[in-house]
Amino acid sequence: MADALIEVENLCVSFAAEHGRLLRAVDDVTFQVAEGEVVGLVGESGCGKTTIAKCIAGRVAPSAGTVRFEGRQLGLKRATKDRRAIQMVFQDPYSSLNPRMTIRQVLSELLRVHRLVARADLEERCVQLMALVGLPSDALDGLPSQFSGGQRQRIAIARALAVEPRVIIADEPVSALDVSVQTTILRLFEDLRSRLGLTVLFISHNLAVVRHLSDRVAVMYLGRIVEEGDRESVFRDPRHPYTRALLASAPRLHQIELVRPTVKGEPPSPIDIPTGCSFHPRCPRATEVCTSDTPRLERVRTSAVHFAACHFRDETSPEAVQGP
Amino acid sequence: MTPILEVEGLVVEMTRHGVAFRAVDDASFSLERGGALAIVGESGCGKSLTLRAIMGLLPSGGRVASGRVVVDGVTLDTAAGGRGRGHSQRQRMSIVFQDALSALNPVATVGNQIAEAPRHVLGFGRSASRQRALELLRLVGIPDPERRYRAYPHELSGGTRQRVMIAIALSSDPAILLCDEPTTALDVTIQTQILALLAELRAERGLSLVLVTHDLGVVSQVAERLAVMYTGRLVETGPTGAVLATPRHPYTAGLLAAAPNVDAPEYEPLAIPGSLPDPLRLPSGCTFHPRCRFATPECATTDVRLEPVGPDHEAACLHSDELATTRAAGNRG
Repeated sequence: MADALIEVENLCVSFAAEHGRLLRAVDDVTFQVAEGEVVGLVGESGCGKTTIAKCIAGRVAPSAGTVRFEGRQLGLKRATKDRRAIQMVFQDPYSSLNPRMTIRQVLSELLRVHRLVARADLEERCVQLMALVGLPSDALDGLPSQFSGGQRQRIAIARALAVEPRVIIADEPVSALDVSVQTTILRLFEDLRSRLGLTVLFISHNLAVVRHLSDRVAVMYLGRIVEEGDRESVFRDPRHPYTRALLASAPRLHQIELVRPTVKGEPPSPIDIPTGCSFHPRCPRATEVCTSDTPRLERVRTSAVHFAACHFRDETSPEAVQGP
Repeated sequence: MTPILEVEGLVVEMTRHGVAFRAVDDASFSLERGGALAIVGESGCGKSLTLRAIMGLLPSGGRVASGRVVVDGVTLDTAAGGRGRGHSQRQRMSIVFQDALSALNPVATVGNQIAEAPRHVLGFGRSASRQRALELLRLVGIPDPERRYRAYPHELSGGTRQRVMIAIALSSDPAILLCDEPTTALDVTIQTQILALLAELRAERGLSLVLVTHDLGVVSQVAERLAVMYTGRLVETGPTGAVLATPRHPYTAGLLAAAPNVDAPEYEPLAIPGSLPDPLRLPSGCTFHPRCRFATPECATTDVRLEPVGPDHEAACLHSDELATTRAAGNRG
């Protein structure tokens, strides 16, 4: 792998829960994102993917572990240039834009505060940013309420790009959008990546979207990464039963037969994480050892770049997910 | 056999800033006894309002301007909240909403909420309705029903809450279950479980289903009939397999092409150009024409209606044949 731009090492985040108990949102997570890479972070609600994003962006303090950017450790307090280097785009473009500010005000405020362009060039830069995200320059005079969901998401992306970041963390950026609009935003991410060489951490519960966009994928369950690898290894030959279940449950257009659920029950509360492998109560493959020994994220035998946290990671999938 | 549900020429009017517009415009469809129909479309297309109009639960400002809803041969009084003719027919239908947390009563135990209809609608005694609620909790796959009976909605996970909603919907012993995005708020592994539950209820209890969703991937698993809506109008209806394999309306084809494919990362999803029109300023003629690559000048002036395009398959498009040949050619290449 090329030099890592972002290194997350043994990251743990706990929050205080009721009755003095601890909620472990993120539990010993380690991964890297290389320069120019798109890494997809996948998992269901409450698995800790957003918390990881917030740690990297400096919005949440880790309880343990480190986040490094270009080899330097970053905490909550960051130099302005480090802050600018990592920007977030959120799921809901409705609530992440100030409803009383025109788009020009939003962008020029950022550009002025960060002294990114000379006053005389403000307007030109605003127009450039609009063009970058595929919006006409007269959109600058609009208020957020005058735009559709897809357009607002473009504006949110333009705002993130205004401070010239190296990394964009996109947290479910297309989940609130209709399918016909989703595609245009995915295209925009592809385009920005090839034009600006952006590094992207793309968080989503939608496997189809992640498979389409990412170079590498990490799958999370209850605060841990349970599988990680290059996109095709993970999707073609998933080694963790949870990844297999996710793939089997992904909506498919021509799936006429009902998908039989392979996974029992629901994820347990992150306050009460099961012993051993936290997936064992729902796992179709679980045995005695899974209830006591926590499997570590380890390399699968057949690949140098594919890792899974399962005692049976070297068994090939019994019900391999078939393509169409 | 007569269909269990028939909707004919349904027009729902809503108002925005004091201006009335047709949020559902002349929708007609029917549902066979024990059948399942999915209504698909993007946000604001009128799919949820169609369900609410059938149920008599239109939001304030909305009204059924014309059209008929016929349940089991009896025409319902379609005025919102109508208690007139067809009241007992309406009781043969139940609705399940997307967001179970806001649809459930936060200060009543789930058991009491499920027991309410048996006690007050079906006239069961206190212990009989409790028994019935416990049975329903078991039926929808909630483990340890005795304990869950006493739980409040906030104590339950999203998946369990949706199961409780379904139990409540079933408690009045309906023949038709209307589901408004029942799995949209749920994680995929839970979604699979809920879809399996709906299929099971259909098979075992002969329930008829109307499922409203934006997710074509959910549709194909559950419903054998599909209706596609755009700007309040039905643009295509037919057997699910046929519509998905050979869509005859460019909007349906566009929706299908827009979704990334989890099994084929090399597939480049194609966006539908333009955006959804403002319901107060709908384009003339076929409302899809400004976004359609098959559009000709006639599309802006002709009022297109659903026309047969195949066995049991209808589309509202002047160019549905052209679409079929283009797609066939595309598939060969």
